[in-house]
Amino acid sequence: MDILIAGVGGQGIILASKILAYAAVIEGRKARTGETIGMSQRGGCVVSHVRTGGSHSPYIPVGGADLLLSFELCEGARNIVYLKKGGKAVINTASITPVSTALGLTAYDGDKMMKYIAENSNAVFIDANKRAKESGSSKAVNTVLLGAAFGLGVLDLSEESLRQSMEKNIKPSFLALNMRAFHSGVKAVEEMKIKCQKC
Amino acid sequence: MKEILLGNAAIALGAVVAGVKVVSGYPGTPSTEVLESVAQYNRDGRIKVEWSVNEKAALEIAAGASYCGARSMVTMKQVGLNVASDPLMSLGVIGTKGGMVVVVADDPGPISSQTEQDTRHFGKYANIPVLDPSSPEEAYEMAKYAFELSERTNLPVILRPTTKVCHSSGTIEVDESRFEYETEGFVKDSKWVIFPPLSYRRHLEIEKQQGEIADIFDRLSFNRIEGDGKYGIAAGGVTYAIVKDIIDTYNLNVVLLKSGAVFPAPAKLYHEFLQRVEKVLVLEELDPVVEEQLYHILAVNNFHKPIFGKLNGFVTPAGELKFDNTLKIIEKFMEIKLGTVEDSTGTKGIEFPLRSPVLCAGCPHRASFYAVKKAMKGEKIVSCGDIGCYTLGNAKPLEMTDTCLCMGAGITIAQGIKKADPDINAFAFVGDSTFFAAGMTGLANAVYNNTDINVIVLDNCTTAMTGQQPHPGTGKTMMNTNSPKIDIASVAKALNVGFVEKVNPFDHQKAVKVVQEAAAYKGVSVVIFEAPCVTLFKSEEVCRIENCIGCKKCINEIGCPALYVKEGKVAIDDTLCNGCGLCKNVCPTGSIK
Repeated sequence: MDILIAGVGGQGIILASKILAYAAVIEGRKARTGETIGMSQRGGCVVSHVRTGGSHSPYIPVGGADLLLSFELCEGARNIVYLKKGGKAVINTASITPVSTALGLTAYDGDKMMKYIAENSNAVFIDANKRAKESGSSKAVNTVLLGAAFGLGVLDLSEESLRQSMEKNIKPSFLALNMRAFHSGVKAVEEMKIKCQKC
Repeated sequence: MKEILLGNAAIALGAVVAGVKVVSGYPGTPSTEVLESVAQYNRDGRIKVEWSVNEKAALEIAAGASYCGARSMVTMKQVGLNVASDPLMSLGVIGTKGGMVVVVADDPGPISSQTEQDTRHFGKYANIPVLDPSSPEEAYEMAKYAFELSERTNLPVILRPTTKVCHSSGTIEVDESRFEYETEGFVKDSKWVIFPPLSYRRHLEIEKQQGEIADIFDRLSFNRIEGDGKYGIAAGGVTYAIVKDIIDTYNLNVVLLKSGAVFPAPAKLYHEFLQRVEKVLVLEELDPVVEEQLYHILAVNNFHKPIFGKLNGFVTPAGELKFDNTLKIIEKFMEIKLGTVEDSTGTKGIEFPLRSPVLCAGCPHRASFYAVKKAMKGEKIVSCGDIGCYTLGNAKPLEMTDTCLCMGAGITIAQGIKKADPDINAFAFVGDSTFFAAGMTGLANAVYNNTDINVIVLDNCTTAMTGQQPHPGTGKTMMNTNSPKIDIASVAKALNVGFVEKVNPFDHQKAVKVVQEAAAYKGVSVVIFEAPCVTLFKSEEVCRIENCIGCKKCINEIGCPALYVKEGKVAIDDTLCNGCGLCKNVCPTGSIK
């Protein structure tokens, strides 16, 4: 399975990729990740590639990802190109305005981004920032999104291995809040499913 | 136990398993995590790990340890090897005793570097073996092997990962064992003293050794021939992994030559490969090193095979080789269509906002640049920048970096500009870590040659860009022990700088005044802007904005990422704001609290 995680430097993307990759290792599989570390971490575009299918290279080809997890709205749109046709996307609706947009140099039209994502993928939108805050820290966006992806049933990983991986990769003092954030993500998707059945 | 390890951590672990005893380095993307990971694995403290002041110092420290019979490793990024090239070239002549590995990370793209230089050339230049891993797993094996090879040849060995190996992770079976040995200690011998007659004798020996090492590399599994067919593809580094994925995905019949131990060239293996195929495609990032080696084999063996690569313009000479562009090249080479992934989503008709890296919200560098900009408003100035987060001072709206060349160059470029353009107010911006790495000699040069420049030291108490490493001004070492803090102001005074002031850049009025005094001072001036990097502390404060009139002066003057426009007025993103308060100094209506 190929998962692309996208967002903005400083959002905790590397931790999310580590949790996914290590969960696959717990299940006896081999995993690779490809990270963006360096200058881009200072508020630039950041992506992590997570591959659990025995590939040789760490980077997912264009049109190759089974799932896109995006921590930020326009970064989700920007990286749709990596998704397979009909691939699933879990998109945080929160946006981070680039300085270039604040300066009026480049437009950021959130509605346009959302429409583009919806047209070009099988997407679920959730306000992960709000849910992270409710769980105890705005930093927990990563575990909210992991929970949402798990809740959708698109991850080929068990809840138990994800839990073990979180225990291994998250500092003990932050574990409880991240578990809450994970379950909040699962719940977000369940609520959406109920809503869909009603309508 | 299986672990997910970054390539850099895998190299570190390989070195630890191989019994490395001394590890030195200077931070630089994408190499930094190698040394940091050694420190993590060094729980019992038996390995001496240090961030040295620069790469030259680091390499010499590793060499000294090797002279004693200890296994040692030095880590740096590719441009760091330029700084350390002096000791490396001579060490290639003198040789080593304890296994010594020189980890130099190259950065195709480049992604976080000044150049796309190829360290494999340095192996050839210095007659030093080079290993080029294709994955974190192989980097782990190569790190262990590199120490053996170094001891077998009495030469340092270069391990050259690239960004996509350093910063990708793989599944690695962690070996808990450690290679144990006694370190003999330094034994006096004239072989450690480089003199022309010795260099001549060693040169003869080393040239002879190249053939012997090439024979070893012929049989080493890091180099191998895989598959069958009339088409030959030679690939090294992470490009090998990408080509393997393409071969697997499309079931291609290709003879694949994997290059891993790249210098000296495994001549017999290359010869066999060339004989087996009708034509050859060489896929490698950066320079056509393997490609030139293959041409060399053709020439010495006096036969011909068509080779497609960078030298005939078939493969792009610059940038990364990713799956998609590599696939296109292979399609063209094999004259087949494999179904290159077209952009099925149709990105036409939509434009994404640009998102370049920026100085963080609350970054003291923003306040420093802004103070200098305000202080020198209307004056003719040049701002010579340097290597670090503050290179980002070039971006709009600050636009306070007019030149950037290499580590420490800001101070000396400013002197050259002042000499050729005497009316200019020449400012040089240098970070604290860069000051110790490469700034002090330039400052001495300015004092010695009476050049009227203004040096602004951006002291944020850490090496920020590479992820908060300590340096001589912090009073902490990599081993987390205390050391005497070296005070930058005292260094400047000791170098006879006539004007030295230290000021907090967030004290805006005072900062502006000090810069004006420094500019008015005839001679070398040093202003130290001292305030910690925002990553070092957690601020509870955030700025609040009320009754904004929507003039956007704050955004247009300082471009803080926490400031954005919402319904025509400026809003503050409190998940990003650090409460530094710089924007309060800009707001004309006092709306920011």
